[in-house]
Amino acid sequence: MPNTLYDVIVVGTGAGGGMAMKTLCEAGLKVCALNSGKRLDPVKDFKTHAQRYELTYRGFMDPKTRSRRHVCERETTQGIWEHDITFTVAPGSRWKWSRCQAVGGKSNFWGRSSARFGDIDFKAASLDGFDVDWPITEAEIGPYYSRVERMIGVASTVQNRPSNPDGEYLPPIKFRCLDHIFQQAANKLGILYLPDRCAQLTVPHNGHPACHYCGGCSSGCDSGSFFSPTWFTIPAAEKTGNLELRTDAHVKEVLVDEDGKAKGVSYIDRKTGQEVAVLAKAVVLAASCCETAKIMLNSKSRHWPTGIANSSGQLGRNLSDHLYGTPAYGYLPQLLGQPSRPDTVHESTVTWMPRWQNLANPREEKFIRGYSVYTNGGCKEFPSFHFQIEGFGSRFKRDIKRYYPTPFSFLIQAPSLPSKNNYIEIDPEVKDIFGIPVARFHFQWGSNELLMWEHCKQVCAELVKAAGGELWGAGDDPSAPGTSLHETGPCRFGNDPKKFVTNGFSQCHDVPNLFVCDASIFPFATDKTSTISIMAFTLRTCEYMVELFRRGSIDERKRRSKFE
Amino acid sequence: MGGQSTDRREVLRALSLAAAASQFSGFDRWAFASAKPHAGHAGSAPAKSSTTRYQPQFFSAEEYASLERLTEMIIPSDGTPGAKEAGVSEFIDFMVASDPEIQYRFRYGLGWLDTHARWLFGAGFRDLSEKQQNEMLEHLAYAQRYRPREEDGRAFFRLLREYAVMGYYTSRIGLEQLDYPGLQLVYDEMPGCPHQGDPEHKHLPPPKYKSLAVRNDA
Repeated sequence: MPNTLYDVIVVGTGAGGGMAMKTLCEAGLKVCALNSGKRLDPVKDFKTHAQRYELTYRGFMDPKTRSRRHVCERETTQGIWEHDITFTVAPGSRWKWSRCQAVGGKSNFWGRSSARFGDIDFKAASLDGFDVDWPITEAEIGPYYSRVERMIGVASTVQNRPSNPDGEYLPPIKFRCLDHIFQQAANKLGILYLPDRCAQLTVPHNGHPACHYCGGCSSGCDSGSFFSPTWFTIPAAEKTGNLELRTDAHVKEVLVDEDGKAKGVSYIDRKTGQEVAVLAKAVVLAASCCETAKIMLNSKSRHWPTGIANSSGQLGRNLSDHLYGTPAYGYLPQLLGQPSRPDTVHESTVTWMPRWQNLANPREEKFIRGYSVYTNGGCKEFPSFHFQIEGFGSRFKRDIKRYYPTPFSFLIQAPSLPSKNNYIEIDPEVKDIFGIPVARFHFQWGSNELLMWEHCKQVCAELVKAAGGELWGAGDDPSAPGTSLHETGPCRFGNDPKKFVTNGFSQCHDVPNLFVCDASIFPFATDKTSTISIMAFTLRTCEYMVELFRRGSIDERKRRSKFE
Repeated sequence: MGGQSTDRREVLRALSLAAAASQFSGFDRWAFASAKPHAGHAGSAPAKSSTTRYQPQFFSAEEYASLERLTEMIIPSDGTPGAKEAGVSEFIDFMVASDPEIQYRFRYGLGWLDTHARWLFGAGFRDLSEKQQNEMLEHLAYAQRYRPREEDGRAFFRLLREYAVMGYYTSRIGLEQLDYPGLQLVYDEMPGCPHQGDPEHKHLPPPKYKSLAVRNDA
């Protein structure tokens, strides 16, 4: 077995890796997939239905782990997040890096917002003059989005919005009381308040049962009622008999042949500490945005002294992220003392205010591009608003109950613009426990996204007023970079090999049999989340690979026009 | 679409069994009391025994007695269950024992309260009358009644109340007081807003406070 020559090695098993495995295996290619951690059985291992009183620390987690917790790590999912492989942050920078070791990755626990990117994102540079257009159009990628939507099931409505291409949707999740209140208010301000695109099954779909609304999504779904690789793409790939999935395989570098093309991958078996080489005709990196960049930067050879496929010098550059923050939070007096409602049993975003800025005129605001806003609120599990209420005793107890249906908060999702100051490199000194040099992050929020943040705070304060709500406050600062888990950019795609790492099919310009199937190809973060786009672009890339295999030209660089 | 209705039925059946099981009070691991050390309680908690007194892991017996009194004042048993029934002081003892970073703040805070009680009333906090205890806390809890030189006491009260809330509203008892909808594990659909024709929610029926009618404030 050590000498097996696979058709393709897929590094990573998340949204991109899972889709790559499925597409390639179903086309008859032999695939070896590598995952850095273990595999979980969703039925046995996910603590989907654990109530807080059943958890040792009641969901507040072991205080001794406080300083090293990841953003979406929960008491129910501790033990599968990466804490052993470290990274560094350059002086003056901030970065949080949540990596999930388990097979399926972060997509086991994701937020499920699934809006398509559109021409407003792809042609943003033509519209406002900043940076570069994407090597893709809405018309080209649309059919791939449709196929992904049909595969995974996305609940939403057709909205005819200029900033958001519509897709093919299951019935939407119903509005909560607070949504109706804020929708009325948003309409007064000329802002649309709409169902989000949510990859959650409101009806049975493709053999997957409908959501049972237990509210345990972020501990992983025990019934496969929202998309995760664990429930969807990986079982489909396994069914073909063409997949070999290796766990506890921490990838070190891409191996190259005498021509500098990819010939395989070397990884550390985390159980034995041994280094293992796997060989294949092509390699797909889908290790998650920054890990993929790190692996490529660490893949140094005679041919690639600064990292594989880095003749452009752009590998690791252009890191972009979503600025997250709470532009306003407070309560709705209309709902004081009302009976508790199941407002959070879906545990998803339900509604959002998709980008409304700079639509008619791309330079209308003080910032370019735009941001979106999500609404949270209603009867949550824990009354975290208790800080807002004074006192103790029976009155305090009654007030907690009285306010329980009323709190809300907004979440801004604002893309950072690519900047020469924001990038990943290899730390020249620090190595991980296996002796592999670690990633070093350089990142600060820039003025454009901070202007969006200020703008959003003002708009949300007006919105609260228009809704008859009371403002408790706003976040002083946006979250640390990396919090959103929506980073993009270090392997971005474009047609010019001098300026981009990958081409329009996410194929490395320099190394034709090396492909990238995660968010690292996207030129910037947009106002939308990236998971469904990772899947749509991966589907397109992998069908292109299948075509190259069919022609026997997987390691030849093809001009894009010849394929079309 | 169309789906596989048998699968769904199967899932729902399994879930309702799980839901029924989780209502069995023996599953409440926070009913632990007795000499069983914390390390062993996950998954193997002994049933609550009214004859064995809880042995604090971190607090001294005196501190723990104050803690019990204070949590019962913050979330009283007033016709509906309070901190006492929900085992809040046990939870706090467990969390503080697990958290070296807050141990000093709790120990110092309880010490401050006792010292301050002696200075004000000539006796430790536990030996004050209910009225005196209430008065002390009111000065720490209500902004209008804040007094100078009680900053440390107010900081401790905030910390203590936070932990009491954490303990109470994550217990089954506390979640039931909130009618927390997630105690039900299966909904056929997301129910959504029931107030058809009133999107601004300006005409809701007036709230009722049947179960929480008792007030302890002036």
